[in-house]
Amino acid sequence: LSRLTTLKNLEHILENFLSRAVETEEPLMENMKMMGSLDEIARESLKGRFINNRLGDWFGRYRAVLESPRVGEKEMTHIANLLTTIKSGLDGSIPESAKLAREIDQWHGKGMIPKRKLVLKIRSPEETENLTEKFLNLSRKELEYLGSGEFGSMHLLSVLDDVLKSAEAKEDRMYLHMAASMIYFLKSNGYKVGPFVKRLKDIENHKLQVNVD
Amino acid sequence: MWTNEEQAYYKALLALKGRDYKKAGKYFLIAENHFAENPDFRILKDVTELLLDVKERISREESEKIEIEEIINYGQEADIR
Repeated sequence: LSRLTTLKNLEHILENFLSRAVETEEPLMENMKMMGSLDEIARESLKGRFINNRLGDWFGRYRAVLESPRVGEKEMTHIANLLTTIKSGLDGSIPESAKLAREIDQWHGKGMIPKRKLVLKIRSPEETENLTEKFLNLSRKELEYLGSGEFGSMHLLSVLDDVLKSAEAKEDRMYLHMAASMIYFLKSNGYKVGPFVKRLKDIENHKLQVNVD
Repeated sequence: MWTNEEQAYYKALLALKGRDYKKAGKYFLIAENHFAENPDFRILKDVTELLLDVKERISREESEKIEIEEIINYGQEADIR
């Protein structure tokens, strides 16, 4: 055999091997695709965007897969965390969103999504958090959010824009606090922050109004 | 959240499925740190790299063969360029 023929034979063998190996990885690829699309929906949700249609489609497409044993515990935990994130951004006053939130609750209720990373710690009555602890916990949570890797390459003004969108869409007051500290930081670095201050005030006023109603 | 490395592994598998081995090789490199301990990942990455190397050698051999064919035209030796 000539050298070229040997190399071509080897090329053929390796290509065949890879084709077969990828075939066996099909379930993994399908799981990755499923988690990737849910991850994208969660990111959009964190930015305050409307995700109902996409989430509905996601459930429609992957409901059967979620019920099958082929999704491992690690993947399920990942999905549970993403669904929890998404649910926190759903507006319960919109019927469609409420329906999707119920669907997420049903999944948790069925125990199909075990071992969520989020642990709600119930404190004993005498163990109350003082103001400093509260502030430290809030700062930690903000740091985790900002350090998630999503914002690394973005300008702080774009990050602030995203945070304000989340503040508008979500109940969590962390986003308001984060936006306010970013605005202060930008102002002390010479940036014009008037429009952002106005947005923040509008969001706060709107939230106060909703709470009064 | 889905990390860049996890996305890269997925894209590498998609590229392999589409027989785009160069692209797969690039995505495997991005995913490498996260999946270094995963044996399936290692095999796929190493075999892809080996295949790319084999393809490169084939391409070199073939271009050398063409050169020889050009040099010996109609059984007559031509000037070597």
